[in-house]
Amino acid sequence: MTVVYSLKNVVKERLTDGVGFRLVVPYVQIRAQEHIALIGHSGCGKSTLLDMLALILHPDESDQFSLHPIDGESHDINWMWQRRRQGHLSQIRKHHIGYVLQSGGLLPYLTVRENIELPRQLLKLPEDDSINSISRVLGIHRQLDKLPGLLSAGERQRVAFARALSHRPSILIADEPTAALDPITAQKIMAVVMELIKGLKITLITASHDWAHVYKMELRTLKQEAGPVDNGKVYQSRFSD
Amino acid sequence: MAQITNIIWLSFRDYSHEWRMSGCFVLALSSVLAPMLILFGLKFGIVQSMIVELVENPINREIRPIGSGRYNDAWIDAYRNRQDVEFIIPKTRALAATIQLKSKTANRILSTELLATASGDPLLVGIEQVPQDYYQAILSQAAARKLKVNAGDEIDASLARQFQGKRERVHLPLQVINVADIAVTSRNVAFVNLDLLVASEQFKDGRAVPELGWEGNSDDSIERVYPSFRLYARSIYDVDKLVRDLESEGVRVKANVGEISTVQSIDQNLSIIFWIIACVGALGFTFSLGASLWANVDRKRKDLSVLRLVGFKSGRIVLFPVLQSLYTAILGWLLAVLIYLAFEYLINRFLAPRLNLDQVLSYLLIEHFLWALGLTVVIAMFAAILGGIRASNIEPSDGLRDI
Repeated sequence: MTVVYSLKNVVKERLTDGVGFRLVVPYVQIRAQEHIALIGHSGCGKSTLLDMLALILHPDESDQFSLHPIDGESHDINWMWQRRRQGHLSQIRKHHIGYVLQSGGLLPYLTVRENIELPRQLLKLPEDDSINSISRVLGIHRQLDKLPGLLSAGERQRVAFARALSHRPSILIADEPTAALDPITAQKIMAVVMELIKGLKITLITASHDWAHVYKMELRTLKQEAGPVDNGKVYQSRFSD
Repeated sequence: MAQITNIIWLSFRDYSHEWRMSGCFVLALSSVLAPMLILFGLKFGIVQSMIVELVENPINREIRPIGSGRYNDAWIDAYRNRQDVEFIIPKTRALAATIQLKSKTANRILSTELLATASGDPLLVGIEQVPQDYYQAILSQAAARKLKVNAGDEIDASLARQFQGKRERVHLPLQVINVADIAVTSRNVAFVNLDLLVASEQFKDGRAVPELGWEGNSDDSIERVYPSFRLYARSIYDVDKLVRDLESEGVRVKANVGEISTVQSIDQNLSIIFWIIACVGALGFTFSLGASLWANVDRKRKDLSVLRLVGFKSGRIVLFPVLQSLYTAILGWLLAVLIYLAFEYLINRFLAPRLNLDQVLSYLLIEHFLWALGLTVVIAMFAAILGGIRASNIEPSDGLRDI
């Protein structure tokens, strides 16, 4: 299988006067259609790593950071960040990546349908039945003309998944997508999402602090270890294959 | 291009979705702008016209010679051609410049002072036709009232003299072509062509006036000189120099110097006060608009980050708050103009009659409103672009999670 993400010695630091947090990724490769889970307690850098994988956060150091979507060419992300190619990065993001935030991140002033359509509009994709069909699968087809403020938390997360998938990206990144939901709703949503992802042959990278949940869905987890370094001034977290 | 269309649509949807908040911004803007418009309206209306009235008042611009001198036509013309002189016309001897008027409608003979006039006379502003020949006159209100005549009526004018031991009287039909404004003078005055004034003097001096068939001595060789003149400076600011020039020629003159300096200082002080208020107001306006629009950008950080996550470019995202500021600027300006127009209507309709003013208290021209719009939009854009650039410089991942 093609390697989608290839990271070597990627470092992101959040330090003030030498004190703070450091995320280190010595070596990680993510292949097409893999389902990856980042496991760890809060503050271990899961969101930081996801943001870097979603190309919205630049690494401080990196020997290699490349992205090769199965339906596109290979990109040297490291080089793009160094050259401040923000436009280029947003192009890749727009075409190949869907992102689900823990809080949904829906635009409150657009209806559910408009929220889901937004990525398709940006790509100027033709209007077809895909919005209706994905909404039906996720069970939100009756909410399409409502504003997000009128939906329950579970419905909002379903809409967030629909928006992240509406433009058929090959990569889906989800940051604790079910953390705000009750276990039963969470499980229901994740089951539907997993079905969709397998059907659409999408690479999934998700973060969760809920261990049991992850094993049930048969996700590959990255090894994570954390602890103080530099005489306890820096809390360092490592993710590796 | 497609992204720009999208941003316009999104910024408008957000603006109308948050109509309460947007309404507050619009109200905040117009509540600062409307008083500024009202201040300008009053300055442009009543204050300006009062100042103009004081500055333009011919009484304050008149320079009167003291005693009598000898001024020939060349001297008069030299002053007439000066840039700082609005009007100058000779006067004949006061005793010779009196005429008796009699109308059919009043049974008295009115002894009336003759004043020469010509087109451009500041005392006869608004009267287009001035006496062109011997047979026309413009009467002062007092004279017209006493003679019970109106514009268009014909009256009889007569002059008397002692000539070669006999008392003589000549008559002349005069058409009243107009009646001067009441503010011009309270005396009995007939404004006539200079020729009639000269003829009257010649007649009283015992000389002949062939044009009118009045007999007497003929001595054409004498150069015509006038003992006095009526002179108006172009503005009160020209009076000082004119007085000095005249005095350097040995002409003793009198002008309303005290009045003039009072009017000048009122004019200057009012202008200073007005500009201080306007500058402080404009500064406050800039800061209040800037602060509220800046705050709006900050409030939108999360939404803007989400837009970037979906794939909008940073440069396009700056447009989002900028466009919303534009909506606020235009709507706020519109509301302020409506408030101002309501104020203008009320004050001109109800307050002006009570103050016995025949002019409007407050008014603005279309270009004043357009200036206000332009200024508001520029300030709004400036504040929003500063805020927007700040928002777009934040790393896209920031702002996503601060809920």
